Amino acid sequence: MVRQSLVVEGERPSVAQLEDLAFELRQKLLHLCGTYEGAVHIGGDLSSADIFTALFEYGLTVDPTDITNPSRDRFVLSKGHAAVAMYIAMAIRGFFSYDGIVDTYGQLDSAYGMHPCKVQLPGVEASTGSLGHGLPLAVGMALSARGRGETHRVVTLMGDGETGEGSVWEAALVANSNKLGNLVAFIDRNRQLMTSFDEERVVLEPYPDKWAAFGWNVIHIDGHDMGALVGAIDQLPATDSDKPTVVICETVKGKGVDFMERNLAWHAGSLGAADLERAMAALSATRVKESV
Amino acid sequence: MPVTFTFGEFLGARSVIGTTLAELGEELPNLWVLTPDIGATLVEFRDKFPERFLDVGLSEQACVGISAGLAYDGNIPVVSGMLPFLSMRALEQIRTDVCYPNLPVKIIGTHGGLVGNGGSTHYAVEDLTLMGALTNMTVTSIGDPLMVGEVLRQSMSMTGPIYIRLAVGKKDKVLYEPGTKDIRIGKGIIAREGTDATIFTHGTTVAQALDAADELAKDGRSIRVVDMWTLKPIDEELIIRSAAETDGRFIVLEDHLAYGGLATRIADVVTDNGVHLKAFERLGIPQVYAGFGEDEQLRDKHGYGLEATVAALRRVIAAQP
Repeated sequence: MVRQSLVVEGERPSVAQLEDLAFELRQKLLHLCGTYEGAVHIGGDLSSADIFTALFEYGLTVDPTDITNPSRDRFVLSKGHAAVAMYIAMAIRGFFSYDGIVDTYGQLDSAYGMHPCKVQLPGVEASTGSLGHGLPLAVGMALSARGRGETHRVVTLMGDGETGEGSVWEAALVANSNKLGNLVAFIDRNRQLMTSFDEERVVLEPYPDKWAAFGWNVIHIDGHDMGALVGAIDQLPATDSDKPTVVICETVKGKGVDFMERNLAWHAGSLGAADLERAMAALSATRVKESV
Repeated sequence: MPVTFTFGEFLGARSVIGTTLAELGEELPNLWVLTPDIGATLVEFRDKFPERFLDVGLSEQACVGISAGLAYDGNIPVVSGMLPFLSMRALEQIRTDVCYPNLPVKIIGTHGGLVGNGGSTHYAVEDLTLMGALTNMTVTSIGDPLMVGEVLRQSMSMTGPIYIRLAVGKKDKVLYEPGTKDIRIGKGIIAREGTDATIFTHGTTVAQALDAADELAKDGRSIRVVDMWTLKPIDEELIIRSAAETDGRFIVLEDHLAYGGLATRIADVVTDNGVHLKAFERLGIPQVYAGFGEDEQLRDKHGYGLEATVAALRRVIAAQP
């Protein structure tokens, strides 16, 4: 096992560059959503767009041209319904071609489906979609890495809603009991389930305390603040430390498109031509606002 | 420690598992053993390879999910536990995390059937239906304790998952002298030759089927006993051949629901291949929650004990099509 060339040449992207890339991700998301006739989980895609960008462009040590390198960081998408955002983030990073995604998404025999499948799409680390499965998978990968003395990280992204699944907390116990300092769980805390707002239906608060009580190192940030995301990644403990880390990212479901934000109707949906234009305009307006 | 045994006597399948895993751990540096708090027999492996042993406590779902994560990374995980919980509580993880990506996870456990007197919470009686429904899963049920070691060993080179069902695993009859039977995943074993009828069975009831065949031998009847220990993929050839060679008279005996297990699989083969039978009877657990009692008492109560098996054989042989 001597293949060790995942070292990135040159500078890592700046926060401003990452913001541009997150904007590009959202534009492409809307474009795909307007192109594909079926429904896309656009709400949770938009809430996690900044996290995906920060991970694939800054946080994860991965090489799109060397997807089986044993030293690569592993990323498990536990909230599998955000597959489109992941595909596009990976396309921007160079894993896939965006045109290939948008041309075939959801079609018969496409590698790009509503939930990611590792068998059909190498580069994706695990087949997911049913919620509450990603953290146990990531724990297994983290144990494997530690058992072999490898120093890479295993990162998973969960939705806050899916942490209602008992299997998440089973795995959280195991991760702490086994001192998996190489394990990081990002949580897209958009505070919405499919049909309700979670604090109204299922009270998760005091949410950071729950993770702390399970023995995890907790980082709590604004998941749309790229500087905060970069800061969280920078302060992740060494992989040979003895506590798993959760990065709770406070987000807004539908972020970036005003009429989708915190709107239960946009958990999943499709955009007609008129809606697409409206959505693109709304997204562009946020950009103008930010740059003022 | 090598396993010592005497043919026809009793041995615990669990100790065979423990010993075999400890041996395999030496040969395979990527072998992991996981358990949700059912680790008593895994002590040898745990002590030799603590860095590749994981007891997750009472967390079947996480246990199977973690095993899939390990397998994604090139490891060979063996999950050992109690089957009523592994096969049902972790069913979705087995299906979605293990079978969907076709990962080489081995699931091995005890309490298949009405065994152990734990009551219906602790009997796996639907497991072969559930596991048999899963694409990519190989499904086995083993009676002979020494076979367990052999099958575990063979399973190490499989690219996909396998389910290995045992009874209590503390006191199992040694049925086959080592080396006398061709043990291959997907192939049934003719435990005893015969010509008047075939009794297909698996797991703990193989010994009972042999006893029933002995009983019929007193009447001058010759009963073939097939240990159909691999339920999926099923040995179609042996079923079709047995119909021709044993006068088209079949009994299926199993410590599982009578519908959904081996009997159903054999009926499928018979139907799909247009095999003409003169008689077919199934002996297994009816659609009841079985209650408490010792293994043999429960089999008698629910109509698939030794006496019922002997009676069924006599009926099947006498049947006029």
